[in-house]
Amino acid sequence: MTNPREDIFSRLNSARGTELPQRPFVPPLSEISHDRDRMIRAFTDNLTAQTAVVHHVADFAAAAEKLAEVVAAENIKSVVVSSDAVIRKLDLPEWGRKHNLTVLQAEDCTGREHFKNMVFAEADAAITGADFAIAESGTLCLIHDKDQPRLISLAPIMHIALVPLERLFPVYESAIDRIFGDPHNVPSHVTFITGPSMTADIQGVPFKGMHGPKKLTVILIG
Amino acid sequence: MSSEHRRLPQPSPFRQESYSPGELSGECGKEWQSMKINTNEFVEVAQRELTNKRTRTLLDMISSVVDNLRDSAMSSFPDPSAALEYGRAIRAESLARLPELLDQFEKNAVAHGASVFWARTADEANQFVLDLARKRNIKYVTKGKSMVTEEIGLNDALAADGIDVFEADLGEFIAQLLKRPPFHIVGPAINVPVDEISALFLKKGLIERATQDPVELGAAARRYLRQKFQHLEMGITGVNMAVAETGAIINVENEGNIRFSKSSPKTQVSFMTIEKVVPTMRDAMHLLRLLCRNCTAQKISAYVSMDSGPKKPGEIDGPEELFIVILDNGRSAIYANENLREALRCIRCGACMYGCPIYMKIGGYPYGWAYSGPMGQVVNPLLLGLDRTQHLYRACTLCGKCKSICPGGIDHPKLFLLYRSMDVEGDVQLKGQSRPWLEQKAMNILSCGARRAWHWNAGVKGARPVVNLHARGNVISQMPLLGGWFRCRDLPAVGRKTFRERMKETGQY
Repeated sequence: MTNPREDIFSRLNSARGTELPQRPFVPPLSEISHDRDRMIRAFTDNLTAQTAVVHHVADFAAAAEKLAEVVAAENIKSVVVSSDAVIRKLDLPEWGRKHNLTVLQAEDCTGREHFKNMVFAEADAAITGADFAIAESGTLCLIHDKDQPRLISLAPIMHIALVPLERLFPVYESAIDRIFGDPHNVPSHVTFITGPSMTADIQGVPFKGMHGPKKLTVILIG
Repeated sequence: MSSEHRRLPQPSPFRQESYSPGELSGECGKEWQSMKINTNEFVEVAQRELTNKRTRTLLDMISSVVDNLRDSAMSSFPDPSAALEYGRAIRAESLARLPELLDQFEKNAVAHGASVFWARTADEANQFVLDLARKRNIKYVTKGKSMVTEEIGLNDALAADGIDVFEADLGEFIAQLLKRPPFHIVGPAINVPVDEISALFLKKGLIERATQDPVELGAAARRYLRQKFQHLEMGITGVNMAVAETGAIINVENEGNIRFSKSSPKTQVSFMTIEKVVPTMRDAMHLLRLLCRNCTAQKISAYVSMDSGPKKPGEIDGPEELFIVILDNGRSAIYANENLREALRCIRCGACMYGCPIYMKIGGYPYGWAYSGPMGQVVNPLLLGLDRTQHLYRACTLCGKCKSICPGGIDHPKLFLLYRSMDVEGDVQLKGQSRPWLEQKAMNILSCGARRAWHWNAGVKGARPVVNLHARGNVISQMPLLGGWFRCRDLPAVGRKTFRERMKETGQY
């Protein structure tokens, strides 16, 4: 019996080639020429249109205060946090003790099942950084690795993301070129997040929080 | 595509009026086998759906709205037509370089630690997943929304082996419980009224009391599927784009069901067909913009996720093993035919359906399979054969709307005409039926008569009185052997003399 791969390739390769069509010019994207303020405005407007809340604070100290405010307003008792560079800078375990919150971390887990139980059942909210923020559609880009597990930004009912402003870029390509630039060092998983989880599958009625978070809050820093 | 959000107007007609269950959906009470192919019942189901008050109300309401939404989403591009043209060029190039790109994709995906499995047929693909599930002692899987697994009947194959399958996209979840095919590629159960979903959820124990609130019903599905996601051992998803340059696979969705299916379990299986490959990440980003705008009128869906291999050491979630199943299922044979090849440019955005005057009258059920509307009319005959899909490629007004909006650059009407001619000529590869003996003879006589002027003139002269024998008043509405043609047409009685004869008589010729 022949090998399926060889079979498929022999059929494809024996097909007559068509001339390689010429590409038109790459279409323009207006966001590329935005200055910083316009990028912030575009990011905020686009993301707010998806019911997310965007705050803008001056520095990390102000971010920690804003974070406490958001958490208190939502009556949150326990948060699961990632440990990427942005979040580490905030020393959230200490912040949690100060505000009387349980701060959960993947590094305290014994393994996958323990971690899953934490994000599915114990955490009221998630706090993550974002590796990029993209103005053209108000999108957060998260690179997932051991410091930024995937389920933190998905399983809890609320997601709070912190984004230093130097991570705000105009278009998807800005992030993609940086992430995939070195083919030998590519992250296993990358997500674009634009607003909370949503659906409109029942009679076209849109609502948030279908499987993932119902609320998304972003704190821009800088 | 797996984006579920359609910003439709609030569908007040459904809330205010009440319908008896028979009216609610034409197929109420009839249990569809989950992926039985019913393309040959097109005419019957279409006629039923035309009189289905519920389908009519829904389609009449959305037809005016959705197209405008898509238009305005496209106009968020600085130069919409340039963006459209560039996307079409990417798809054309992807196909022109298909073997090379697939090879490059495989090399890169494997370099990142993914396992690539090639499947010629639906059976080979299903068998692979079954064996894998058995080896891993899997009790159940969740599925992100994926059309290719509908195409190959994966759910039935797994169920037959005792493995439970949970569709996790809300629309697919409802369609699965109802045992019905998708009504629309983007909104599989968009036509099912709240009452019916409420009754269904009550029966299945998902809710305790009836409700008219879609949000409450969604929350019930959330609770039910959350348990499945938490303890998931194997997740199955489709692939929106596979990038040759990096070996990454990309999924586009709004709900998070695909993200859960790719993050929670130890084993991830992602299904793609050979034409899903695109050259570069930048190309993928451009197609992403087009896909979301055309699919759900969004700039981008809530979630886009990209995998390059399984999780790395030290990562606490994500799959320990990632399998990418690359399925042919007849496509390489389609690829071999240069005229048919462009059918493979489809990116499954579903824009053509809302643009189609036929789909907008009859909805998705008559097409009888996973793919409906113009994209189904293009794809189904190639995958199932011209003989089983006769009515699909003939049910077209050739208005060209689908072609004008297609971000893949498919010329649907041209393909429908090609299918019709291949069918008449009895094409072997696509199982063309050719014409009945009598019709062939009639055409032979006609072509013989049309070759010589005197044959033609004599024929026309002789035929006129015979044709007029069937006139009632001045109208012919029936003739022997031509019942089908006259089913929806009348012919005015013909004059005794031809135009040229009359010109001659007046001496002006």
